[in-house]
Amino acid sequence: MTAVTERRRIAAPSTAQRIRNWILNPWGEPRGLVVITWIYVAISIVPVVVAIMFSFNAGRSVTAWQGFSLTRWYLDDPRSSVIGDPRLQHALLQSLKLAGLTMLIATPLGVMLALGLARWRGRLASASNFIMLFPLVTPELVMGVSLFLVFVNLFTFIPLGTTAQVMGHVTFSLSYVVVIVRGRLFSIGRQYEEAAADLGATPWETLRLVVLPLLLPAIFSSLMMVFAISIDDFVISAWLSCGSSCDTVPIRVYSSTRGAPLPSINALATVMVAMTLTAIGIAWVVHRYMTRGERRTGKQGGMTQAMGAFDL
Amino acid sequence: MSGGEIELIDLNKHFGPHRAVDNINLQIPGGEFFSLLGSSGCGKTTTLRMIAGFERPTSGQIVLDGADMTETPPHKRHVNTVFQSYALFPHLNVFDNVAFGLRRQKVEPDQVKRRVNEALELVQLTSFEKRKPAQMSGGQQQRVALARALVLKPAVLLLDEPLGALDARLRKQLQVELKSLQQQVGITFVYVTHDQEEALTMSDRIAVMSNGRIEQVAPPEEIYEAPATVFVADFLGVSNLMDAVASGSDATGRCKVKVGGFDCYAGRGSADATGTTKVTIRPERVRLEPKGTGGENRIPGTVQRWVYLGNSVQLIVGLATGAKIQALMQNTGEEIPYREGAEVAVHLPATALRILEDTGAPLASAED
Ligand SMILES: Nc1ncnc2c1ncn2[C@@H]1O[C@H](COP(=O)(O)OP(=O)(O)O)[C@@H](O)[C@H]1O
Ligand SMILES: [Mg+2]
Repeated sequence: MTAVTERRRIAAPSTAQRIRNWILNPWGEPRGLVVITWIYVAISIVPVVVAIMFSFNAGRSVTAWQGFSLTRWYLDDPRSSVIGDPRLQHALLQSLKLAGLTMLIATPLGVMLALGLARWRGRLASASNFIMLFPLVTPELVMGVSLFLVFVNLFTFIPLGTTAQVMGHVTFSLSYVVVIVRGRLFSIGRQYEEAAADLGATPWETLRLVVLPLLLPAIFSSLMMVFAISIDDFVISAWLSCGSSCDTVPIRVYSSTRGAPLPSINALATVMVAMTLTAIGIAWVVHRYMTRGERRTGKQGGMTQAMGAFDL
Repeated sequence: MSGGEIELIDLNKHFGPHRAVDNINLQIPGGEFFSLLGSSGCGKTTTLRMIAGFERPTSGQIVLDGADMTETPPHKRHVNTVFQSYALFPHLNVFDNVAFGLRRQKVEPDQVKRRVNEALELVQLTSFEKRKPAQMSGGQQQRVALARALVLKPAVLLLDEPLGALDARLRKQLQVELKSLQQQVGITFVYVTHDQEEALTMSDRIAVMSNGRIEQVAPPEEIYEAPATVFVADFLGVSNLMDAVASGSDATGRCKVKVGGFDCYAGRGSADATGTTKVTIRPERVRLEPKGTGGENRIPGTVQRWVYLGNSVQLIVGLATGAKIQALMQNTGEEIPYREGAEVAVHLPATALRILEDTGAPLASAED
């Protein structure tokens, strides 16, 4: 007892001091940054969440909440739901058609291009490498106008419409495929190709049995990326559109919102967001699954994977 | 499997102005364990990659069993490589990795199975067939890489620092295994390493390389006991290297050298050497005599350190030339009269003094 009373008393930290310590958190990542990050995420997501919310509005307003209905604007409303309104249904199909075709055309093309560019040395190759990045930095509007002029003045045998839209989408999504696949090619290096040649594989066998299997994660990421990019696109689809029968989801959302919008537009947008997220989600999961061995040993591809987005 | 004789004739590889491989000539008979030894960046890998066919020589010829294969693409060469990074196909399991080469040769499936199992047995990896490379340790991956190459029964096996990524204990163990494996299969090994001990213990012959050139080709004992050049002696850490100026051979066929101002004769090495170079002598051949003893090859000095080693005594002697020299004296039970501080005459017998050729290669010891 006496020992306790004799011990020197040290005041506990004040409440203000404790809060300060909690935020600065000297033992880990500063919590201040974490808090700011979450505030940013919340702010940027709120509009999307609100838009999605109103697709479940029971009434016809997109600004006043009138009760919850799970399916009215998706399925039930005979005239104006996503299923009931032929224009919305058509826009959805057109978007899916464009995204699907673009994905299936741009990916193989991009893979071949990436293989060629990665193996081809010289001045022309570095020029092509540079040009490949153009669509990534060109403003989409400029890209759209250029494509429009090309189809109207040069490729007059291709009328504006689905074909032109697909070609436009392929043109700009090709760059993404090349960047993704080249990143992967760079990270796996030449060692496996050399090993295959060393073991007697012809260049064709090397491509088929070694390079393409190793590129699978990147090819898959590319498919999903292209799908997500294409389904999101507004500017190029609009420039190359043939009128309302070529309208995609973004175009339909745009034109309806300028008139008298119904929650069915929110429902349509929600479907699109869901598809984009699903594509990216699948790409991420499959890529993780296919490259799991590499991460464990940490031998190959560490760099590019660490770089994140492009090699997904 | 007979054959496996490799010949490199005037082989050059330049990367821009840089001569990675500079006029190499080598003859490697079939079945030999041949090592390319040299510090990092001296052109070992480039040489090996030219033999494998991954690099195209700037000039020169690569001959395998009498046939020029300089322009043959890698997949048509009867040589196989064990890569430093192993380069096991990550998407294939062990069995498919080892079977890869056999299947390219259109070997029958049951034959493939038999030969893959034999190869895995050879490297003691049976029951690992279904594993993926990522699920194996470094040492095991190394063995798979070895099996994958050996299963094709190549005429020549090229190994680029195959043990470089392993820890010291495993290295030692695999060195022994690799050497006995080579004797068992009897094919030519061209082995690249920067580790002199590894080269000395495993090889039949060693080529010491520096700056893309070959300094000396000889069996391990000779490389160590009778280094031909200053670089080789320095690289192997040979003791008692002394600066000298040579002036050609005398009437008796010995080389006249000035070691720090003292006239000496070197009876070993190239007698015709001239100019500034180095001489060396093995510590056990150095004689210490009482101060003032006359005769050729005697240089005055002072004992600086006296180290008792049990069966011998090591003395560090500072020569009047400024150099330090090591002498080993057998401990015969008799008193060794030269203690620290004693002044002596150091006798470097001409029959033991070796003159080295100075090729101008920068020395490793000069860097630190
Ligand atoms: N593809 C290349 N391009 C340019 N220089 C190279 C290339 N490959 C090797 N070199 C250079 O050639 C020299 C020898 O390299 P290398 O054969 O790998 O040496 P080692 O295997 O002995 O360490 C080094 O200086 C290296 O920088
Ligand atoms: Mg090397």
